[in-house]
Amino acid sequence: MKVPGWSVPALVVLLALAGLGGARLFAVPSVVVDLPAAATGATRTTVLVVDGVKCVDTAERAAGQVKGLTGVSRFVAYASRNRVEVTFDPAVSSSSKIVEAIEGPVHDAATGEYLFHVYHVVEIDGAKVPTGPPATTGP
Amino acid sequence: MLRPPPERTPGERGPPLKRLRLLFQVAFVAAVAVTGIRFALGSSLTSVEKYCPFGGLETAYALLTRSRFTCAAGELNLALFLSVIALALVARKAFCGWVCPLGAVLEWTGRLSRKLFRRSSFRGPWPVPPRVDAALKIGLRVVVLGAVLAATWTTGELLFRGYDPYYVLFSAHGHDVKAWSYAILAAVLGLAIVFPLSWCRWLCPLGTVLWPFSSAGALRLSRSGKSCTGCGSCDRACPQQIPVSRLDVVRTGECTLCLECTESCPAPGALSLRLPGRAS
Repeated sequence: MKVPGWSVPALVVLLALAGLGGARLFAVPSVVVDLPAAATGATRTTVLVVDGVKCVDTAERAAGQVKGLTGVSRFVAYASRNRVEVTFDPAVSSSSKIVEAIEGPVHDAATGEYLFHVYHVVEIDGAKVPTGPPATTGP
Repeated sequence: MLRPPPERTPGERGPPLKRLRLLFQVAFVAAVAVTGIRFALGSSLTSVEKYCPFGGLETAYALLTRSRFTCAAGELNLALFLSVIALALVARKAFCGWVCPLGAVLEWTGRLSRKLFRRSSFRGPWPVPPRVDAALKIGLRVVVLGAVLAATWTTGELLFRGYDPYYVLFSAHGHDVKAWSYAILAAVLGLAIVFPLSWCRWLCPLGTVLWPFSSAGALRLSRSGKSCTGCGSCDRACPQQIPVSRLDVVRTGECTLCLECTESCPAPGALSLRLPGRAS
């Protein structure tokens, strides 16, 4: 059966879109950490895009940053998308506290030193975090 | 004996697929280059690795054995790899001819080679004997594929990143790119001048993986002995150096369905794209 030549680029476009759109079907978390949370009330999940979370090791390190926070019950990271989902009790914790903890200094167990600017949160619940010089506060 | 090609009537040539393919190639090269530059400048977290279908195969083993992706490769790589396989089952190696940014750059290098050495085909200044070409296509490619997969699957790291011409060319001096990475890229481009598309034909690991699927691809180029004048325009136009004028049906897994042969053919109806089934 004769087929027109334009069917080749049409198939290319169709399958490229299928590949780009179908990626979510194969999403597998790089790290899942369930933390013992004291809170029994309602929970909230904040979704962050974190510069620095790029593989299993860096995702595990980021999980270590929120382990000490009270009210945090679950940490899930998708390293290939730099995506982190943190579930917490809003009565005890907040998104800003979680962001602060993730962006805080990271303890390097191998050298015993603290590393700064390892993680940078660029998106919180779909909203881009504005970049630029830090806001100055009054006296 | 050569017969003069019959005149084409206006509109018989169909859509300008040659220009459309060039547009596809330029668009994909530009998109990947912009992705690499944006990542290097820190204005995006998406690196060029995320769009490499071969990364999907590299990470498949880690996903099956450890339920996690290899470092730097993820679900997008896997989804793109599966869609490229699906494309090969229908449209053969169309990915190589229409999408692959490295393939596009190497094809343009091959065209430059044609001009530099004043050759009418992609065979380069020193045509490789068919037996040597076949041995390199099978032997060398399998060795490269085996080495890349063995190293990646055993370590869980993309160890060949610094050797990968696609990554070196488009990552804008990305992670693991050293001075010798550029030396390898220069060697691949230099080789492409002397032996056009040599990377694609003898070394590309993704091309090796696609080959069996492409060989079984449904869409095939068919040559009509009645209309064909035997002028050889199709042979000279084929970047993969397939001897189209000597085949009734192009069954080889190397065909990228770039359609350069149909576009260059002066005889209407001599070459056509067909699906197996009822003749029309």
